[in-house]
Amino acid sequence: MLKIWGRLSSINVQKVVWAAGEVGQAFERIDVGGPFGGLDTPEFRAMNPNGQIPVLEEGDFRLWESNSIVRYLAARHGTASIWEADVARRAEAERWMDWMLSELQPALAPVLWGVVRKVPGYTEPKVIAEGMKRAETLMAILEAQLADRPFLAGERFGVADIAVGCGAHRWFNMPVERAERPAVRRWYEALFARPAAEAALPLPIA
Amino acid sequence: MSLRIYGYAGSINVRKVLWCCAELGLPFEREDWAGPFRSTSEPAFLALNPVGLVPVIDDGGAVIWESNAIIRYLATSRGREDLLPAAPLPRAQVEMWMDWQASDFNNSWRVAFQGLIRNNPDHRDPNAILRSLDTCSRMVAVIDAQLDKAGGYICGGSFTLADIAIGLSIHRWRSFPDRPALANVDRYYERLCERAGFRTYGLNGGP
Repeated sequence: MLKIWGRLSSINVQKVVWAAGEVGQAFERIDVGGPFGGLDTPEFRAMNPNGQIPVLEEGDFRLWESNSIVRYLAARHGTASIWEADVARRAEAERWMDWMLSELQPALAPVLWGVVRKVPGYTEPKVIAEGMKRAETLMAILEAQLADRPFLAGERFGVADIAVGCGAHRWFNMPVERAERPAVRRWYEALFARPAAEAALPLPIA
Repeated sequence: MSLRIYGYAGSINVRKVLWCCAELGLPFEREDWAGPFRSTSEPAFLALNPVGLVPVIDDGGAVIWESNAIIRYLATSRGREDLLPAAPLPRAQVEMWMDWQASDFNNSWRVAFQGLIRNNPDHRDPNAILRSLDTCSRMVAVIDAQLDKAGGYICGGSFTLADIAIGLSIHRWRSFPDRPALANVDRYYERLCERAGFRTYGLNGGP
């Protein structure tokens, strides 16, 4: 059985738990990271030298980095469901995953730290407002992308929806004033209705 | 139809794509966008890439953006399993180092690079620069240990796409002062310098 290392309040663990559900793989999840600690032990560092969650254990190998794990689960276990075989179509999805990693996640994180986790240094209104401004710019890009297609990469649900959908879950459930984004809202509600998503995305967010 | 690359050659992410093309022996045409050139917020650019970032490629009608997604697409579409394996597990082992480079490793050197190399007035806080240098060097030490374990390259004894992503960041790290001595990284850098693509777009491609 798959083992997923990481607390479920982590957005990156959520991606992997969701993907495992979509490809129908049972798993055991072990709480580490955040308040659970356990990332600095030699045993954990042997699994991931960067000391971060999630880590996926399958048999005698281990993978880290959430987007890579999601794509692995799709390729290894999801050929009948979420895997995209065509290389150009796959790249259309993967670019949104990369954008999530390098743009949207770094924009959402300081807002979450400020308004939900109350991390010192992030709670000042000015810092939160700057984070919101950046996040709204990116949400406007998502709104335009989703205006004329049901899913991020087109007609089919796939790995990009999992990665970016975890960001939308945070966005719509943080106690902040948001601009109306009807297309993003419709897409997010369709995603959250999937059983694998609901199991991966606890409320309230933490 | 030939391959077209949109983005100025000073961008480290554009250089990933250029180096990848050199490894693949792919001819291309390049247009200067971003940096000191045309703004990526022009409608013509946003029509290609709604997120407004370089690089973008147009490969006979397939328009792809995000540097790591582009080089995975190029290697896979040209059948180069030596650069990116087709089997899910070894492929994921290459991709996870690419994801890590694009997120944590990239973020670690940003402040130091902007402050020390680009002389960006927004990044002059000496403490923030020292923290950035320290975080970056700790990550390069992780790479040093990985190279020791893997045997020559990031994912084993042979060159992969992970080395394109990590190699350019190592090149950038080497532009910083007071770096810790890391013997495996030094040997790795010499090994990369044997490659024509790295010499053009890494070694001689700016920091």
